[in-house]
Amino acid sequence: MASKHQENRFAAYSTPIILAAILLALVLLVVAFGDKALARTAAETLIRVTLVVGLWIFVGNSGVISFGHAGYMAVGAYCSAWFTLRPQMKSLFLPDLPGWLLEAQWPVLPAAIAAGLLAAAVALLSGAAILRLSGIAASIATFAFLAIINTVYSNWEGVTGATSSVVGLPRYVDHWVALAWAVTAILAANIYANSASGLALRATREDEVAARASGINMYRHRLLSLVISGFFTGVSGALLGHSIGVLNPDSFYLGITFISLAMLVVGGIGSLSGAVIGVIVLSTVIELLVRAEQGFAIGSAEFALPSGSQEILIGLIMVLVLILRPSGLSAGREFKLRLKLPHKTLANEQIPSNRGEIK
Amino acid sequence: MSKLGIFDLSVRYGKVPAINDLSLQVEEGERVFISGPNGAGKSSLLNAISGAVPTSHGRIELDGDMLTGRAPEAIARLGLSMVPEGREIFGSLTVEENLRVGTGLRRDAEAVDSDMEDVFEAFPILRERRSAAAGALSGGQQQMLAIGRALMTNPKLMMVDEPSLGLAPKIVDQVYETLCQLQEERSLTLIIVEQSSLRAARVGGRMILMRGGSVVGEGNAADMVDRDALAQAYFGNPKCKEVNS
Repeated sequence: MASKHQENRFAAYSTPIILAAILLALVLLVVAFGDKALARTAAETLIRVTLVVGLWIFVGNSGVISFGHAGYMAVGAYCSAWFTLRPQMKSLFLPDLPGWLLEAQWPVLPAAIAAGLLAAAVALLSGAAILRLSGIAASIATFAFLAIINTVYSNWEGVTGATSSVVGLPRYVDHWVALAWAVTAILAANIYANSASGLALRATREDEVAARASGINMYRHRLLSLVISGFFTGVSGALLGHSIGVLNPDSFYLGITFISLAMLVVGGIGSLSGAVIGVIVLSTVIELLVRAEQGFAIGSAEFALPSGSQEILIGLIMVLVLILRPSGLSAGREFKLRLKLPHKTLANEQIPSNRGEIK
Repeated sequence: MSKLGIFDLSVRYGKVPAINDLSLQVEEGERVFISGPNGAGKSSLLNAISGAVPTSHGRIELDGDMLTGRAPEAIARLGLSMVPEGREIFGSLTVEENLRVGTGLRRDAEAVDSDMEDVFEAFPILRERRSAAAGALSGGQQQMLAIGRALMTNPKLMMVDEPSLGLAPKIVDQVYETLCQLQEERSLTLIIVEQSSLRAARVGGRMILMRGGSVVGEGNAADMVDRDALAQAYFGNPKCKEVNS
């Protein structure tokens, strides 16, 4: 009944609140007990939450694996750099930028939004072509897109600085800024997944033929989700740039593609909670392994893992998760609060009826 | 006025013909059974009408609108709803989400709620399990859900491909009872692929017999059941071959 429906809506909308609370709790813990290095790790983790949640908006709802999202990240990161670098630096290192952009020096928030919008526009253009394909062919096309972006950004000397890094970005992204964007991304992802378009897209993920027979235009919904997804992925790229202060095209290539997909798979591709949990779990593991590689002391003895063991162990974890929990840690479920509304219609629902019932 | 008109329809899968120059009229509010042996082209016909397979020749009209050449989603928007063979439901979505999937193209939000109420009225078990994943339902419940989902698009014409496939006879009875009742309430046009001519006769309606991609006989379902037209359709005889060629 209506009240039951409201309950379900409430439960669906409680997910982002719970996820935001978990992230806030983590940040508060780090602020209270952590050192500076840990605060940096927290900021990095939250940027990855924005990235992976952005990725999930498309991959989780459409079921199409995208290898191209690092490309949208690069687009966003460089866009924000163009708007925020000091004009003198730009005319020195990026002389081929158009005149108005050379002189622009925007505040960081509008620059981040512009970064997201440019990435969304690129997502619209690339998606219009890529999403004409379906299944694995679409995934391979996204990979080709990533290669194109990387090649362009690695060679367009006067605009992107090519392989010599762009330096001097204002480093304003701390754990609070990253938290704000991560929560925004989670909210947007939840609203989209529960919208008519999100529902239609999840239906196409299950069964293309039946979805089209229900009047769903798969192409349009996939494109819409890719544009929203591209926006937040672009923002995450901008955040990453402004967190480390240096941009290089290769920071947005295979490494980040692999790690973001690994987080999505480990957490569970089927749910938003899974995307967030995957980031938290894998980021924690990575941080522990990095510290282990640097060496730690037990009593008077020094231990250190050989360098490179981080990548191997992350791969091992992924394999284990795929074997033990093929649909990820969350197994496609969301964190939800159950609100019990008084049931006016309870009596009605309990009337036994033979029609349509299976004994 | 004819509601659905099929004129000289041919469907081919590569070089293999599935339907040959088939013509068929279905009136508004009519109940039509399509029967025939395996490979007769029954599902191909439904798929061609709903746009899931391309036609190679001929045209299909619904209330004067050309359906031929349109995408399945555009055809669904014209008021044609199909329950595909094998109950293709969206397994990881909940029952309620399954029902709401088809409503994205409707503008009447209140009517959607009252339609969902109607579906729950017709299939109370769906109400009970509305928050469960559809994949966790039994076969009969999934069939009910598939029919419910098709109804939620508020169709003028509904096509059901083998509703009895893999279901216990008692459940098939329930499904048909509900289908007929819904048809009456909504003045719905129904096209049903049904292998059992006995059941079709019991439910009542017009029956179309197909064989080798053509219509080889039609008449009142109750009359067809004991006529040798059935035997002809299934086993063929010289007369049938004449019709085919």
